[in-house]
Amino acid sequence: MTDSSTSDIFNGASNNNHLPTQEEDVLAALRTLLFNPEQIETSEQQTGEKNTSPNLEEDVLEQLRTLIFSPDDAQVDNVQQQSSQKNPAANPDEDVLGELRSLLVGDDYQKLTKLQERLDDPKLYAADLSQVLAEAIILRSLQDQQLAKALVPSIEEAIKVSVRKDFKILANALFPVMGPAIRKAIASALNVMMQSLNQTLNHSFSPQSFKWRLEARQTGKSFAEVVLLRTLLYRVEQVFLIHKETGLLLQHVVAKAVTTQDGDLVSAMLTAIKDFVHDSFHVHQSDTLETLHFGELTIWIEEGPQAILAGVIRGNAPQEVRAVFHDAIESIHLEQSNILHSFDGNTTPFEACRPYLEGCLLVQFEVKEPKPKNQKLIIGSVLGAILIAVGPWLFLYIRDQQRWANYLEKLNAERGIVVVSADKRHGKFFISGLRDPLAADPLMLISSANLSPAQVTSRWENYLSEAPKFVETRTKQVLQPPQSVSLKVDNNAILYATGYASAEWIAESKKLVQLIPGVNKVYLNIVDTDLRELESAKKKIENYEVHFLNGTQLLPSQDSKIQSLVKEIQKLSNSAQSINKGIRIQIVGHTDAGGSENANITLSQARAQKVLSMFVSQGLKATNFTTQGVGSREPLPDNLSKQGKIFNRRVSFKVFLTDTLNRKSDQR
Amino acid sequence: MIQKKICMVGAFATGKTSLVERFVKSIYSNIYHTTVGVKIDKKLVKFGEQELNLILWDIHGEDEFQKVRMSYLRGSSGYFLVVDGSRRYTLETAFSLQQRVEDAIGEVPFILILNKADLIDESEIDDAAMAELSQKNWTVIKGSAKTGLGVEEAFGTLAKKMLEA
Ligand SMILES: Nc1nc2c(ncn2[C@@H]2O[C@H](COP(=O)(O)OP(=O)(O)OP(=O)(O)O)[C@@H](O)[C@H]2O)c(=O)[nH]1
Ligand SMILES: [Mg+2]
Repeated sequence: MTDSSTSDIFNGASNNNHLPTQEEDVLAALRTLLFNPEQIETSEQQTGEKNTSPNLEEDVLEQLRTLIFSPDDAQVDNVQQQSSQKNPAANPDEDVLGELRSLLVGDDYQKLTKLQERLDDPKLYAADLSQVLAEAIILRSLQDQQLAKALVPSIEEAIKVSVRKDFKILANALFPVMGPAIRKAIASALNVMMQSLNQTLNHSFSPQSFKWRLEARQTGKSFAEVVLLRTLLYRVEQVFLIHKETGLLLQHVVAKAVTTQDGDLVSAMLTAIKDFVHDSFHVHQSDTLETLHFGELTIWIEEGPQAILAGVIRGNAPQEVRAVFHDAIESIHLEQSNILHSFDGNTTPFEACRPYLEGCLLVQFEVKEPKPKNQKLIIGSVLGAILIAVGPWLFLYIRDQQRWANYLEKLNAERGIVVVSADKRHGKFFISGLRDPLAADPLMLISSANLSPAQVTSRWENYLSEAPKFVETRTKQVLQPPQSVSLKVDNNAILYATGYASAEWIAESKKLVQLIPGVNKVYLNIVDTDLRELESAKKKIENYEVHFLNGTQLLPSQDSKIQSLVKEIQKLSNSAQSINKGIRIQIVGHTDAGGSENANITLSQARAQKVLSMFVSQGLKATNFTTQGVGSREPLPDNLSKQGKIFNRRVSFKVFLTDTLNRKSDQR
Repeated sequence: MIQKKICMVGAFATGKTSLVERFVKSIYSNIYHTTVGVKIDKKLVKFGEQELNLILWDIHGEDEFQKVRMSYLRGSSGYFLVVDGSRRYTLETAFSLQQRVEDAIGEVPFILILNKADLIDESEIDDAAMAELSQKNWTVIKGSAKTGLGVEEAFGTLAKKMLEA
């Protein structure tokens, strides 16, 4: 049989018309015997035929099977069995067997061999498996979790390897996914914060807060959120999209009416700053610069794997703005990842990103509510919230304000101080007014009011107060009265002066008092102290008595009495002279009651003369004295006892003050 | 619009800032203000129809206290190595800087400028130095920020190289 005939038979097997039916039947029976032995046995048992020799038949069939289907094994057997045979290739059995094989299994056999080949060739096997792998995985996943469990270790290992090789690949792949996930987590954390803020705010009420509450209900936001929103004020003025590696500006949008710098330069500079910060502070690779402050401008930076979004903000932007930035940079990476990756300096394709940047130009204005009639009412919830933030500062502010009020009150209560103006500018206090030089020192009052002198700038003009207390003090300052004088000024501005003072002081004061401001009238009731002294000196001298033994002979003890008398007289004479007065002393001689009165007069005259001569010998001027003898006409009360008699033999003195020197000189 | 980042690197006081000033603003000053960190300028150059916006990063000079930060070089499409012709050692600095830059950002076009060419009498670039340079097969341009010599040429050449790269 040739190949072509085989193919004929092959063809014939699929087409019954070209084959005799008888042959076909035989082949079919043989096929059944060879391939489905079980089935046949069963059917035979059912029919009850040929039951006696199944084993023998089976052996034959088995041998035939081996010969036909395992040609290699069979050949080996053949070689062993027929070792004498030299040419196996020419074995006619083989040809016959091959023919039988073809007849029995036809193309099925070829298919089987091909299948075997495929299984043995790893390349072909892999190619085959790849056709069904995806479907197989899906099918298995639907059945159970085994596949996932089996894959876990490999996938974990794969991720590790990938990260070790280049972590950026994984990071870049995860970036669009992780952003929202992280934000969700943060949002829920923020939510908790808002909630607690809400609770504190819930306790405060004001018309404003009701309005905000209404807004919260309408917008579905929390009340705290609305409060924060309403009190914030900001504006995103510019947004830059910057290529991360080169620092080149990809796109730049600017809010209306904002003056800008050269975007290219700002963009590069921002990148340089970012690099600088990153290098200088040895931060972790994943930590990046997020915020920059320039005066009242803030720059927020949102970083993606290839590009950076930087927003220039004036004022206080809430965190939601950052979320908008974040969304923008994420979307740009998602949609423009191709042009970002292949960027070679051509910025034109990034025009497409403009809408995202423009979406970041957010503005928030402060609400200006009309002032309600009762202002105190609105100091409710808002103040409560603000108080937490500015509490310490506010405390100091209020404290200083109170101290200032306190200081002003003190000044106003003070006599001789008139506050003309007082106000507060830029945290400093300014005060001006009039002050009597005698009034309390306003600067001393500053520190006693617990204010720092540095906080207060004061200007004081001098003036004279007419308050009785000040007039009195002023009078005292001008007149400088001795301690023996007391001065009083009453509410009608009348000055009362009482006590003792020198004539000189009195005369001077009479003139000066006219010039003291604030004194309307003067009542002077002051005794001239000089005269008073003269009076007492005079009395002292008049108390002296010089005693005699007999005749004009003095008692032995009287010499020293004369000495001190002389001194007193000299003193009196001097002080009298100093106040333009003169003195005249009458020396009077006395006798006891014994003897004739004529003789007594003479004796008494002689005794007076005797004392005068003693005075003159001591240096006193005779002109100041007159002598007189009165005999016994002016006796002392006891003139009868022996002792009394002795006391009556005496000389006494009478002192006269004369008014002027002129008169004195007249007397001379 | 095509934009390219260019860096100026070199030892301190070699004239990096002066070259940029000359190129961008056509001005020159004898006064030396050392650069701290980095200063950025830009200039638009045209090649026929093609417009190229050069973003110039003038980086602080290298001295013994301060090494140039390689992070500033990142993303550069080209760079200048600036040498002060009157100070031989600035050439050595340029050699070592070139090595570090290449390690950091890879091979990108660059040009070595032998600046201060107007100071002919003080030149310290001798034949040996020239030989060493020519061995390296680099593009070397003699220039002077003071007179303007070679400045346009240097920037133009680098720009072309970058567009071709
Ligand atoms: N004669 C001459 N002097 C120059 C030239 N270029 C720069 N200079 C001077 O050299 C000094 C340094 O110049 P800069 O441009 O500030 O040098 P730099 O490289 O930027 O210096 P650093 O920023 O400190 O690294 C200045 O005084 C310049 O005037 C030049 O071509 N010729
Ligand atoms: Mg410089």
